[in-house]
Amino acid sequence: MSARDQILRKIEPLEPVNHPGDFKGASIDFDFRASLEVVGARIMTKEELEIVFPGRRRYDKTLDGLSLAEVEVLEIDGEFVVAENGAIWLTEEAMPHRVAPFICQHLVINVKKIVPNMHAAYEELKKPNSSFGLFLAGPSKTADIEQSLVIGAHGARSLTVVIHP
Amino acid sequence: MLSHSEASENFIADAERTDWHDETLWFVRAKRDKASKVLPEWEAMREHASQIKDHTLANLGEYLQAFESKAIANGIHVHWAADAAEHNAIVHGIIAAQGSKTIVKSKSMLTEECHLNDYLASKGIEVVDTDLGERIVQFRNEAPSHIVLPAIHLKKEDVGETFHQHLGTPKGNKDPQFLTEAARQHLRGHFLASEVAITGVNFAVAETGEFVVCTNEGNADMGAHLAKVHIACTGIEKIIPKRADLAVFLRLLARSATGQLITTYSSHFHKPREGQEMHIVLLDNGRTRQLADPKYKNSLKCIRCAACFNTCPVYRRSGGHSYHQPVAGPIGSILAPNIDKKANADLPFASTLCGSCSNVCPVKINIHEQLWFWRQDLMEAGLAPAGKTIGMKLMAFTLANPVIYRVGGSLLRRFSHLLNTRLNPWYKQREMPVAPKESFQEWYKKR
Amino acid sequence: MRVALFVPCYIDQFYPQVAVASLELLEKLGCEVVVPTDQTCCGQPMANSGFASSTVGCDANFTHNFEGFDYIVGPSGSCVLHLKEHHPSEKIRNSVYEICEFLTDVLRITTLSAKFPHRVGLHQSCHGQRGLHLSSMSERNEKPFSKLQDLLSLVNGVEVVMPAREDECCGFGGTFCVTEEAVSVKMGQDRIKEHDANDVEYITGADTSCLMHMEGILRRQGSKVQVKHIVEILNHA
Repeated sequence: MSARDQILRKIEPLEPVNHPGDFKGASIDFDFRASLEVVGARIMTKEELEIVFPGRRRYDKTLDGLSLAEVEVLEIDGEFVVAENGAIWLTEEAMPHRVAPFICQHLVINVKKIVPNMHAAYEELKKPNSSFGLFLAGPSKTADIEQSLVIGAHGARSLTVVIHP
Repeated sequence: MLSHSEASENFIADAERTDWHDETLWFVRAKRDKASKVLPEWEAMREHASQIKDHTLANLGEYLQAFESKAIANGIHVHWAADAAEHNAIVHGIIAAQGSKTIVKSKSMLTEECHLNDYLASKGIEVVDTDLGERIVQFRNEAPSHIVLPAIHLKKEDVGETFHQHLGTPKGNKDPQFLTEAARQHLRGHFLASEVAITGVNFAVAETGEFVVCTNEGNADMGAHLAKVHIACTGIEKIIPKRADLAVFLRLLARSATGQLITTYSSHFHKPREGQEMHIVLLDNGRTRQLADPKYKNSLKCIRCAACFNTCPVYRRSGGHSYHQPVAGPIGSILAPNIDKKANADLPFASTLCGSCSNVCPVKINIHEQLWFWRQDLMEAGLAPAGKTIGMKLMAFTLANPVIYRVGGSLLRRFSHLLNTRLNPWYKQREMPVAPKESFQEWYKKR
Repeated sequence: MRVALFVPCYIDQFYPQVAVASLELLEKLGCEVVVPTDQTCCGQPMANSGFASSTVGCDANFTHNFEGFDYIVGPSGSCVLHLKEHHPSEKIRNSVYEICEFLTDVLRITTLSAKFPHRVGLHQSCHGQRGLHLSSMSERNEKPFSKLQDLLSLVNGVEVVMPAREDECCGFGGTFCVTEEAVSVKMGQDRIKEHDANDVEYITGADTSCLMHMEGILRRQGSKVQVKHIVEILNHA
């Protein structure tokens, strides 16, 4: 018997328990700016961005995984930011390559939309799925050495968010 | 192998380090407390998550098959493994077909459980662990001591010395920023070169056939997106029914683990990248046995946040290695005996049953109650240490007979000074209570 | 009100003053207190060591002594929790009370004539707190409350101070205190350190077992800090 059949056969259905349904989060007016700051992102205006990162690379399909390793500053578009935790939803379609937001040294994300919490976020994601998508909250970080927070473990060393009203 | 109590004694011998370990992890718990108290719906959300898991476990077979067919339709290769040996053979088969000799792997407690690294090493394949904490302990030939903070037992001096030996960083440099940068440069080379990447799985969604991997460093993504072949290894209990359920679990996971609002990266792998091969291995390894036992079924709800480690007063003062298992702490103590009763008979006793673990658990696993059940099962299986069974039976006999109890009690009080000996573990670092002349009952009779 | 006083075995043998204070306090509050004289133990020491199957005789003896009472009151959260969770008789499970919860929830006392002009550190014993819910728990998102602090607030002159970690376990843990001696003692020492930082004269709580453990460490350290069960303070003239 295959392992699959063996496993499935060993799983006896238990007493039925209903799925509790979708959770209703408390309606809290989360401050997305505060959350972005907590996760280590910077918020800039378009004008500030021009001054700080004049030479940044925009989304560009010609960039493949390895050539992205050479990119210092990459600018991409996010779909929305979640106010409760500063996470930005990104999809493969908006990136030159899946590894893009990880491998560049500094990341800039444009966001037009804000949703209050994760429940609202997954409401947004009910439409057809991308092949790959992620919530990204701030720059790469680690605290694996004595719990000291270090920014820039493997992924981007900084995250700049530009909110487009 | 040392038992938990023996290993703990060694750990505690370094009081300063024990205090540091305790305080550092307590700080993580304090961050968790703060993060959870910001949300008025916290306790309701724990209950909700627990119910989703109850529902999933009650229909696990169906959800696994639903996940499988969706994942296959998405272009993901789905493998099933009954035990660790099958799991390792499957993973090795995929790597061998690619012809790789060095691969990268992000954090996966399941691969620790299967001892995958050792197995692959025996086949001539080097696994580079890419989580910083895991890379540190891998260099040191140690096991992770915590499932979220693998190197929490080490001080920065230890890491500095390890990196000096393995990465050539200057001797004496113990700056976390500097050492992390050294690891970044070192591991970037591996990410760019590796053709196969292994990751763990935090959640696998039956509705969509996608799986979610959460990291703070971005190492799982760096590996998976650059490799030609991505192998994700998961236990069958990581299935959840719907995508919307992720909202509840992602809100709970990071807040419970570290007090963060969310992990930096929560990646949803739905289909392979163009030209990429994506595999998922579904492992049983005793999980179906656990599922079939109503006493222990709930342990399969675990989302590996390690909040129970951080709150456990015993874990904080004994270190992860004292549990001699890939998953330490309270949750490890109820998972390990399912795999091997005899080898892990000490673990359910490495607790005061204070109950704090069950209180922090984001999916409301009754951890301290399961510890109690395991104690019964292990003693019933005849795994008591020498002398314990006789001692317990004698005690039970005495306490069942008031007359013998009274005589025994008065003898105990009269000769209690004889217990002031090094052979009495109580007396080693504590005085015995001063025996009164009269017991309460003796006093009461005369009243 | 007719109340059966449950005196746990180790209190009977080593801390009779705790049982005396319980008896006197309940009588002061107008209860008719009966002390079943053939009582021994709740069975917890065996059960928590994995020998619940050996407590049949002990359980039967407890039932024999206490089944005729609607209120069984004991000065030990841990023993009471064990009875509530594991005793085979439903009547017993439903009739047993830890003494503080009995005072606040059944007798609903609002005054006491007690006086204890000292600085006292409060130890929240886990089984009373997390098991019997004698107070809110720091891990939970819940409204803070404490039945023990409510009772102590009725005592004249007492100054209650909480340790920095309000509800961390002291490490007694039943047979854990000897089978895991090193961790057990370390946990106790750490609790005491926090109480010492508060400069307390006494450490009190609702579980004599935790106090016995901490007392053993205090005495070995040559400390002047003493332990007292909460009923000894509530009964203090």
